[in-house]
Parts: sequence; C-alpha cells; structure tokens
Amino acid sequence: MNAGDVDLTARLGPLVLKNPVATASGTFGYGLEFTDYVSLASLGAITVKGLSLRPCLGNPPPRICETDAGMLNAIGLQNIGVEAFLTEKLPELHARGATVIANVWGDTEDEFRSVVERIGDDPRVAAIELNVSCPNVVKGGMVFGNDPAALGALVSAVRPLARRPLIVKLSPNVTDIVACARAAVDAGADVLSLINTLVGLAIDLETREPKIGFTTGGLSGPAIRPVAVRMVWEVRRALPGVPLFGIGGIETAENVVEFLIAGADAVQVGTASFRDPGLAGRLVREVAEWCARHGVQRSSDLVGTLKTRPRAEHRYA
Amino acid sequence: MPVNETLRILRTVRYDAKHYSLFLQAGRVGPATLPGQFAMLQAGDGLRPYLRRAFSVADVATLAGVPCIEFVVRVVGVGTEALGRFAEGTPIPVLGPLGTPFPIDDLRVSDRVALVAGGIGLAPLVLLARRLAERGVPADLFYGGRNESEVLKRPDFERLLGAPRCRYATDDGSLGRRGLVTDLLQAALDAGTTYRRVFACGPQAMFRTLAALLARTGTDASFALESEMACGFGVCLGCVVPGRDGRFLTVCKEGPCLPPSAIDWGAV
Repeated sequence: MNAGDVDLTARLGPLVLKNPVATASGTFGYGLEFTDYVSLASLGAITVKGLSLRPCLGNPPPRICETDAGMLNAIGLQNIGVEAFLTEKLPELHARGATVIANVWGDTEDEFRSVVERIGDDPRVAAIELNVSCPNVVKGGMVFGNDPAALGALVSAVRPLARRPLIVKLSPNVTDIVACARAAVDAGADVLSLINTLVGLAIDLETREPKIGFTTGGLSGPAIRPVAVRMVWEVRRALPGVPLFGIGGIETAENVVEFLIAGADAVQVGTASFRDPGLAGRLVREVAEWCARHGVQRSSDLVGTLKTRPRAEHRYA
Repeated sequence: MPVNETLRILRTVRYDAKHYSLFLQAGRVGPATLPGQFAMLQAGDGLRPYLRRAFSVADVATLAGVPCIEFVVRVVGVGTEALGRFAEGTPIPVLGPLGTPFPIDDLRVSDRVALVAGGIGLAPLVLLARRLAERGVPADLFYGGRNESEVLKRPDFERLLGAPRCRYATDDGSLGRRGLVTDLLQAALDAGTTYRRVFACGPQAMFRTLAALLARTGTDASFALESEMACGFGVCLGCVVPGRDGRFLTVCKEGPCLPPSAIDWGAV
C-alpha cells in the first residue's frame, strides 16, 4: 500500500476533517503566521489563538521559560478580539482553504455567550472550541474548567447560542477528568479536546523568584505526553461514543498514532510548532506513511484500539 | 521571507571559555539577512534544549571562499553550551532571517551614526558596520566589555569602520577607558558630536541609561533588544516588552530593532 492510498479522514461527530492532524490553540497564532512554512489547506484543521469579546493585552513579562522536554507559559490569553479576527484574519484563512476552529474564552458566562453569538453560523468557522481550561489568568477559563458543575452550567448556557459544532477543551488540572468530560457532554458538547497545559512552577535559584511573572505557568511539550495519552484513554473508555481531540507533546507521526490508539479521533499539534513551524504539515504525510507501512487502510481504524491487560492485584512476598 | 532550512557548521572559533563564533553555511538565510535581524537555531534534535534559540546574525561573509553566516555566542545555558560543542559538518536547523532590522535605508554619506555595543551585544553590529561601510556612511563605534578579552571582533570593526573611529570601555581598564560604554558616548555628545542615529545592542542596564541619555539629547535611535522566545515569528507571544502605548511589543516581530521611545522603560 502507498501512503497516497491511505484514507486519513477523521470524523468527530458533526466535524469532518480531511486528516487527523490539527494545530492547537495558542501555538499557531491566527494561522497566517505559518503560511511561509506549511500549506494551511493541507492540515486537518487549525485552531486559532483564544479569542475574547474585546482585545486582551495579556500578562506582563516574563511569560515563558524552557523546562526539560517542554516549556512553561503564562501569556495571559493575549489576543486581538473576536471582531478583529472575523474581519482581518478569517477572510484570508478561508481563501487559503484552511479548516478553522475558533477557540474562544471569557471571564464570565456572559462573555462566553457573546463571543459565541458573534461567530454565529459563519460557515467559514468549522467549529467553536471553548477554552474553559486556561491556567494563566486570574479570572477566566479555569474557573469553569476545574469543577464539573460549573463546567456543565457554562456549556449549557453557551450551547443554545452555538450554531457551529461545539468543542470543549478540558483542563488536566483536575482530580477526575472523566467527571469533567461527562459534564461537558451532558451539557451538549459535540467534541472534547484534551489536554490543556498542566500547572507548573520553575524557580530561578539565584534570585529565588519564579521564572515566570505570573508565578505559575502552563507546562506543555513532550514532558506532558504520557499524562495526555492516559487522560484520552480514560475518557474514551468512559464515554466511548464521544469524539476526541488528543493534545499534548506531539512531535512525531508515532506520537499521533499513539493518541489515536488511546482513543483520540484526531490530534492537535501544540508547542512543537514553535520549535518547527513546518512540523504539522510534515506529520500529515508521515502519518499516511506510517499507516501504509503498517497496512492500515484508514487512519480511523486505529482509533481506540488499545489492548489492555487485566491489572493484577499486588502480591506480597 | 524567512526560510526554514538545515545548514551545516563550517567552523567554530573559540575566543575563551565563554565565547565563540559559529560559522554556518549561508544557505538561503544568509543572503536574505539585513543588519539587526536574527535566526532561530536548534541545538541538536533532543529534548534538552527543547526550544530553538534566537541569535542575532553577526555577519554574512565568506569563510575560505564559502558563503557563510556567523553568530557570535556567549555561553549562558544549556542551548548555547550545546551549540558550541558540535563538530564541523553538523547540520543545524535554522529559521531566518526574522524580525525588524535596523533602519538604515534613509542614511546618506553625509550622515554620521554611532554604534553602541555592550558585552555580547556586539553581535548584530558587525553586519551593520559592514553594510554602513559599503554605503560610505561614517560610523563611530562605542564598545564596552568586562575586560579586553571579552571585547570581540575588534579587527572586523576596525577594518570596516577605521580604527580611529572605534572606542572602547572596560570594567577593569584593560582596554580603552575604565568605565561604562555609555560614559564614552556621553563624552562624545558633550564634546559636541551629533549623530543622525544611534544603533545599540547590549544588556538591559545599558539600554536604560542610553535611552535616558538619547531622550535628553533628542537623538534618534534603534535598539536591538534581546528576549527569551519560543518561536521567533510572532506566535508564542512569550518575548514581549511593555510599550509606551500600553500594549506589549513582540521582540521577535515588531522588534528586535525598536526605537527606545516605543518602550516603557519604567515597566521593563
């Protein structure tokens, strides 16, 4: 089998993608920054920087620091606002053939509702992703994302206004990811994305100050991949019919395949796009090649095929 | 337009334990680079260092007849340490040229400009000196370092600008005047020299003093700023500095070369 013969279509409920490789919000700008390095139309989807009702300036620096196999960030959701996105960015994204997921957030339920309402049924937006899980702002996202009841209430409030497929991006900074997943789905989410960043802290030993101005930041990169794969698997097992985007430390085609096997229908490439802006485009080809090499005709055949062994009880010697 | 390509190491020249020049094949990045622009270099394909590192392009020239691009590096951490250890021929992923260059297109032969370097901030000023020399724009160099051995690329500056135009300050007085580079510039301004524009790169404290000095004299200036950045092309928004207008400016895209009047130095 040739890579060209592999069917890469990814079906996530009402959202159908040409392949399972999308990009993650906050790591791909508004997409147009990447046109020198990748054909936007070749990607399964691009998810744009989290949009709020009004433009947001973000946090004072320092905002990022490198950690082993990853980085911490506390950007603070800096963005141009939904209005500027729709008028200044979306037309060109659409002209370039990009499948666009609009990630949105608000400090309050009303703000979430207003952003979603502003997007309305714009057909140039393939789906809306609710960011209920940003750890880097004093108010905002994570207030909703850390508590299943608050999350359910928010999704219920937004759902009737969302006229495009609705994705909810979950926080991993919770005791029970399945409870949050269930709350979002019960309230009407079409698709779940997981995971957002894990809250971390890095310290400058000389000054004894946090390396990041916000004190804590969100950890991303390959360091978090096993946590993300585990959470995708847990949610898939508990809610087998719910379409999932897997996110967390994806760098290679093998990483994509691992997420698919764990139960993700598609993935979002995040921090790796900072390191190599052409990566997502290459992964589309490399996933097809991986499938061809392994005799997998449809990449969707891999989804949720993890073979687990029964866990043995421990024994004492 | 930036290029994402892999370039081989042609040579690594060590100055001392902490400083080296890295010469890569020029590729398509080299000829496209304007003074003040930078490139993102990946040190190895491992997970430590994980991110690429931003380096000013120090020079675009030839090495034994081979077109090359030069970076002058101070070892400050795991990335700069790793990059200096690679053998000749090692392929290095390079993304560049990136960022807003020094504004020089409006300069004429009748103008006079100043180049102010502090420590490793010499890096972007070598290519700037080269381009100014090609255009015949007279330029004075003010270059400060800890000691004589940390004043790098002196022969290049003196050949490009003329030795009498190059003035130095060191902390220990081992080269030029003992003291700060900003004192040198201050002395020149006090003596009545006027500059059409001042180009500077150096540590935060130098920028701060210089910004105040140039604001007092109303001198036009462009500072090549440094910041930690994850991407280098305006996406991660990690490298920002506070702007005078209340916004945050991206060092990678709106910078690295910015007029000091655009920056809120009180909030930096």
